[in-house]
Amino acid sequence: MDFQSLVDLHYAALYRFAMSMTRTESDACDLVQQTFLTWATKGHQLQDTSKVKSWLFTTLHRCFLESRRRLTRFPHLEITEAEAELPNVEPDLVSHLDAQEVLRLLSQVDEQFQAAVALFYLEDYSYNEIASILEVPLGTVKSRIARGLAQLKELVLRKAVPPGKATGGST
Amino acid sequence: MTSIEAREILVLYRPGTADAADPQMAEALALARQDPELGRWFEQHRAFQKAMRAGFRQIEVPAHLKASLLIQKPAQRTFLTPQAWWRRPVWLTAAAAVVVLVLGLAGAWLKPRIPDRFANYQSRVVGAAQLAYRMDVVTNDMQQVRQFLASRGAPADYNMTQGLEHLQLTGGGRLTWRSNPVTMVCFDRGDKQMLFLFVMRRSAVKDPPPKTPQLTKVRQMLAARWTQGDNTYVLAGPEEADFLKKYL
Repeated sequence: MDFQSLVDLHYAALYRFAMSMTRTESDACDLVQQTFLTWATKGHQLQDTSKVKSWLFTTLHRCFLESRRRLTRFPHLEITEAEAELPNVEPDLVSHLDAQEVLRLLSQVDEQFQAAVALFYLEDYSYNEIASILEVPLGTVKSRIARGLAQLKELVLRKAVPPGKATGGST
Repeated sequence: MTSIEAREILVLYRPGTADAADPQMAEALALARQDPELGRWFEQHRAFQKAMRAGFRQIEVPAHLKASLLIQKPAQRTFLTPQAWWRRPVWLTAAAAVVVLVLGLAGAWLKPRIPDRFANYQSRVVGAAQLAYRMDVVTNDMQQVRQFLASRGAPADYNMTQGLEHLQLTGGGRLTWRSNPVTMVCFDRGDKQMLFLFVMRRSAVKDPPPKTPQLTKVRQMLAARWTQGDNTYVLAGPEEADFLKKYL
């Protein structure tokens, strides 16, 4: 596959993933640039061409972690107990969410959950593929997504109900 | 499967994906159809998932991004490093060789030879850092950088100054200058400003710098140069008064 075809196919998805994590256009563009630059220098080492897309996502995520100096690994949480944190959210509360609002909400989610949640919504990857991209165990990915979703729901509820009057408990 | 267990599983359900094919998910979906309370929760959850998914997918991609990616195609993004000539068609390599030979001979006859002066080297590497640079290895582990450089024949036995020891390493790369391998080590100063350490063997230049660091302005950057042991060093960074001194 030539470079232009590769860019055509994947740059938009990579940008959205980068934007989900950085929330800054210039930083997201830099991450995408860096990802394709890494491809240009190391992509030939990839033997299995069916893994190009996940390779690009993994590379972008590594670049992001590097840029944020997240040198310590996030703890590997298992999925147990995450379900207890999941509140009910009425459909009306989310029916008018746009990209800006979604990004604003995601920015308030624990940083260690953000990449997993973004991939969960942006791409139709299996959980095994997301785990491979983020280079963490499957259980950790599921836990991060479940906990990230719980936090998103809490944020939506908090936005809808003024502090002190919240009624959306865990069910 | 209990209702609570089904809910745990359905939290991760994405409508319209292959998730439903998972046996556990299928069982949980079946239970949601039978259990009214679980069913109501699941409908709300699906609406939430659908809205969030749509929101994420509305993220607009800048119109200029694709063009800027394509402008900088791989072959144009390498600098100082020789191109992979063996990948080119033989005729092109041969033609290029003839042209280089002719130009080389003409240059030798018509012009004085470009001196292998340290100032030329310094200007070249600082210019590379300023305009575009490529890290071959992106890591915060100096040992990894040294191993990579050693494997590529670049100086890997460089000494770190005390000031640099405290900076955040971001990676490194191998460059060449007049066929001499050059080590590049990149540091982050912490305010989105980078510092670059270039190391080359002192035997590669006629006039290696003295042992005591000398500061000069090079291409809108500030650079310090010195020699230690068999290596010459150039440390380049933003042009700010006295800032380099604390890293020497």
